[in-house]
Amino acid sequence: MTPPFSRVLVANRGEIAVRIIRAAHEMGMQAVAVYSDADATAAHVRVADAAVRLGPAAAAESYLRIDAIVAAALESGAQAVHPGYGFLSERATFARAVEDAGLTFVGPSSATIAALGDKLAARRLAHSVGVPHVPGTLEPAPVDRPEQLAAVLAAGSSVGFPLLVKAAAGGGGRGMRRVVAADELPAALVAGSREAAATFGDGAVYLEREIIPARHIEVQLLGDATGQVVALGERDCSTQRRHQKLIEEAPAPGLGETARRRLHEMAIRLGTAAGLSNAATVEFLYDQDGSFWFLEVNARLQVEHPVTELVAGLDIVQEQFRLAGGAPLSARALAAADRAARPGSHAMELRISAEDPARFFAPAPGRISRWVMPAGPGVRIDTALEAGDRIPPEYDPLICKLIVHAADRAEVLGRLRRALDEIEIGGVQTTLPFHRAMLAEPGFAGATGLSTTWVDSHWDGATSRATAVRAALLAAGLAELGETAPDAPTDIPDATLPGAARRPVTAPGRAGNISAWRTAGRVGATDRWPA
Amino acid sequence: MIAGPSGEAGAPAGRDDPRALRIGVAPVTRLDGDPSLSLAPAPDPATRLPQDGVAGPGLPLVDGAPTNVRLERFGEVRARLVEIVGDGSTGPAARTDLLLGPVRIDRAHGTRVREVVVGGWRIEVEVELERRAVLRERARRGAGAVVLGGPVEVRAIIPGRVVAISVAAGDAVEAGQQILVVEAMKMQNELRAPREGAVERIGVAVGDTIEVGDLLVVIH
Repeated sequence: MTPPFSRVLVANRGEIAVRIIRAAHEMGMQAVAVYSDADATAAHVRVADAAVRLGPAAAAESYLRIDAIVAAALESGAQAVHPGYGFLSERATFARAVEDAGLTFVGPSSATIAALGDKLAARRLAHSVGVPHVPGTLEPAPVDRPEQLAAVLAAGSSVGFPLLVKAAAGGGGRGMRRVVAADELPAALVAGSREAAATFGDGAVYLEREIIPARHIEVQLLGDATGQVVALGERDCSTQRRHQKLIEEAPAPGLGETARRRLHEMAIRLGTAAGLSNAATVEFLYDQDGSFWFLEVNARLQVEHPVTELVAGLDIVQEQFRLAGGAPLSARALAAADRAARPGSHAMELRISAEDPARFFAPAPGRISRWVMPAGPGVRIDTALEAGDRIPPEYDPLICKLIVHAADRAEVLGRLRRALDEIEIGGVQTTLPFHRAMLAEPGFAGATGLSTTWVDSHWDGATSRATAVRAALLAAGLAELGETAPDAPTDIPDATLPGAARRPVTAPGRAGNISAWRTAGRVGATDRWPA
Repeated sequence: MIAGPSGEAGAPAGRDDPRALRIGVAPVTRLDGDPSLSLAPAPDPATRLPQDGVAGPGLPLVDGAPTNVRLERFGEVRARLVEIVGDGSTGPAARTDLLLGPVRIDRAHGTRVREVVVGGWRIEVEVELERRAVLRERARRGAGAVVLGGPVEVRAIIPGRVVAISVAAGDAVEAGQQILVVEAMKMQNELRAPREGAVERIGVAVGDTIEVGDLLVVIH
């Protein structure tokens, strides 16, 4: 099959740039990378066929420079530009600049991005086609005009507290502020607007009612140039921390076929009204009464797209390239859409980030000293890192996506637990302790406690860390004694230990997030390899 | 605090051993409530294990008490801590898989620091000789009397860039009041005063790039 393009430019970095370059190579296309000075030796530069420097490390001087990226595409002879997620992926001005340069933007058209990527415009669009949206304002809040203060407060009280200040250009929780009382609203608007302006270059913010408890469920859409839009299925991304997704899965647990069809139909109605082509995701909140509330559209590839790929059985990035080349929706995409309301398997993704889960998930950049990734059946790792790499503080702290696929959710959880046991990362603090604890959490494992606010109200990182600290102290001390005093007593064969013979095979004996296999099954292995 | 009475009169057995170690969490990563403990080799290598009567090597002393704990090494990095509570008849050994990083020398504190990763938690462990730790504690207690209520140094716990400073030298601050905003990995992190007082000095300016441990503000 002839590839849609011969050479494409990937306007991103990190794992998503590598993932897109892989898709391009599999289709027989050459890939051009772009990079900042912080990424001169990064994986996406190494695996690409050519690479163009954009500028210094700061995103505003590199990955956010529309002129430099379009120039790089023209100079390198690329015919298409894939934006990935984040950075410029949802900037209509970027898509337009690519189109104006005579290149193909791999994503919705600049007009669709303007209509959907602006959260306020998307809310108005949902309103016009009868898709229920989260209650709130439909116009930007007048942040810089003190004389409008009374009007802002009136709008706030009509929406109701607690409410959220959100960035019209936002995503991933950036520019967002939670406001519980009217007197906090003006400061929250200014702070949210400042962060939005710094992150997106657009300080427009609006008000939205906070619906809690709620689950976050989103629908993956594909559309072609003829105007046909299909849903590949939905994802549950309820496990979030301050509106940053931590775990995503497909399909959403507990939804019946009827609810699933209703949800997919609403997303398709919205995408069709927006003239969607290529790929986009429609996000909803799912409240306790079983109602879906439209949240926003991400007119781009999502971080969590792999879980849909695994369940739907296709490569979304490759579909994006074909659609961008002008092809109609593929037979494979149409077949996947037909099956979307009756999914036949399950997939889950853990976003592993360089963040400290004992310190409110504060970023923890640094250099990776050890990097061992899991393997085996049903395990997919999307990453751009390896041992020795530095995680730059300038960019997103995501370091690796662990995605597993299995017949059903229970098998997925078992597979994830064993994959987490295999991961070894040293040199930086990661979110791994959080993910291990989450998989042991009954409300998560049983899918009965899924809620967008669960992590913020329940996660106790300091307590989880305290048990690890004692083990770390003992291990470091014993290692030191062993090195300085060769006769130190660290070599007691298991069989000589009292109680060894009576040890029950199924006893948990340790924290619940460690499988019984680990606590009991490796006794024999231990005996074969004395210290 | 797992440690018993500190090494003054009546110190638990084992701390007189010149090889005895004091182990704690290194200052940069220390959280409130992090314990430290002392560890010494078994004083009598021929100690018998209880109950089964089998002669075996003695047990190391943790905070002065014999503790049935050992470390299995699987090469340079992988290791497993095996700990048996009581005489082992009440349950299986606790087995904790962990990663041991290389030791680096912290010249500023005169200690050896090793990264240990346990269940995904990355903990920088500081190891020093027990005798030296006791001397250092005495010195600190002596100095403590002088600087009681003295200045508090607020240092960076994450690297990033200072985007806003909300106070000036001489300002009075309350505990919990925002002092400055650090942007790291696209997130704006608000840094708050650890206690009330007056701002004595600000060590950074808006736009500065900071590293972990950099002095940000001194509160008097």
